[in-house]
Amino acid sequence: MMDWRWDFTFDVVLPRLWEAAGITVYATVVSFAFALVGGLILMLLKMSAFKPISFVASEVIEFIRGTPLLVQIFFLFFVLPQVGITLPPLTTGIMAIAIYNSALTAEVYRAGLQAVPRGQWEAAVALNLSPYRTFRKIIIPQSLPPIVPALGNYLIAIFKETPLLSFVAVGEIMHASKLIGSEYYRFNEAVTIAGIFFLVMSLVSAALVRAAENYVKRSILH
Amino acid sequence: MTRPKIRFERVTKRYGALTVLDGLDFEVAEGEVVTVIGPSGSGKTTVLRVLMTLEGIQDGVIWVSGEPLNMMHSKGGLVPASKAHIRKIRSRIGMVFQNFNLFPHMTALENCIEAPIQSLGLSKAEAVERAMELLTMVGLTDKRDQYPSQLSGGQQQRVAIARALAMRPETILFDEPTSALDPEMVGEVLSVIRELAAEHSYTILMVTHQMGFAREISDRVCFFDGGKIVEQGPPDDIFGNPQNPRLQQFLSKVLEAR
Repeated sequence: MMDWRWDFTFDVVLPRLWEAAGITVYATVVSFAFALVGGLILMLLKMSAFKPISFVASEVIEFIRGTPLLVQIFFLFFVLPQVGITLPPLTTGIMAIAIYNSALTAEVYRAGLQAVPRGQWEAAVALNLSPYRTFRKIIIPQSLPPIVPALGNYLIAIFKETPLLSFVAVGEIMHASKLIGSEYYRFNEAVTIAGIFFLVMSLVSAALVRAAENYVKRSILH
Repeated sequence: MTRPKIRFERVTKRYGALTVLDGLDFEVAEGEVVTVIGPSGSGKTTVLRVLMTLEGIQDGVIWVSGEPLNMMHSKGGLVPASKAHIRKIRSRIGMVFQNFNLFPHMTALENCIEAPIQSLGLSKAEAVERAMELLTMVGLTDKRDQYPSQLSGGQQQRVAIARALAMRPETILFDEPTSALDPEMVGEVLSVIRELAAEHSYTILMVTHQMGFAREISDRVCFFDGGKIVEQGPPDDIFGNPQNPRLQQFLSKVLEAR
């Protein structure tokens, strides 16, 4: 039978984890927002007609995708200060997660664009639509239905990646539960609650993603 | 004959090592209805695609109403055209595709007003009025608020024709407009094209496998083979008295298959 103390749970664990949960959610939302923009930029660079730019962008994407996130977090955390850039751990962590996921969302955008049949581009040319209008009115609306659920999955993935920040002492929920554990020599409550928190938040985000997906489908495809 | 509406001057188009159009010289007069026939891979669809600027060419000049399309005048000579120049000249040409290529997220009416509003600068009211005239002409006013997925293939292609006409092109290209249709829907699309051809205010260039239809509506039929026009002339000559052995062979094959 597991040793579980409710008074400890309510008096110590929940208040401290509640605070830390705020940091987890903050890190998730901010790095996701940056990853959305960063991925778009990487994708545009990769699709650039200027070959050297497109080549460099592809290599950068491959490099980021080919190394573990934890290594990248450590790299930014320990190497940046040596070149004179010292940032708070949370900022460094958000940066690492955002960069890593930019490389992944770039591929999502690319796949979404490529899912639009070539005939749609050709019809836009035949109707003499400007490139801007073609993207805005023809291509983007049609690439959203595949893009939105895939991006949503990355939101959930980022959320579950934030415990990696505990390795660089960001006070998110995993770090907080480790601290509680080492202060009181009790891990059961804190780690269990942290797990339940992630489960609940994953389920909530998954529901949100599904809602967004349905909304896009309803409003764009008929 | 009036001055040519469309003129290909030694146009060469290659895909890698494959030459699809081989120094093609070709003209279409104003108001003329020209049908292009030929075996697959003969370059007949490529003629439409390079004219619509869906694909570039490696050599030669394409002229539209006496103005170069892929080139432009500069200091007494011709230089490769700017994007703005291509857009300007291209606006005189419309195209109807084999697979319709309607915008699936827009209704029939929205498909027909999007480009006129954006590219021609019409007000929404003007664009709707014009689109409704055209939907009336193709017999689909009652489908104005339907999405392409709710329409039959024949209806989609008729909307696509209305959409192309809404841009007020002088020349319309039809790329195998009935090839993707179920047989019972071919007639409704052909009758719309027949009506356009009879008006003679449009210059029409069509690629088709409907030999009977080509014979009926064309002023001239061109037989393409190996990136060149091998034989051309009035439909009765081409179908009734073909001279070139490859044309004879082609006709015997397609007519046999029917």
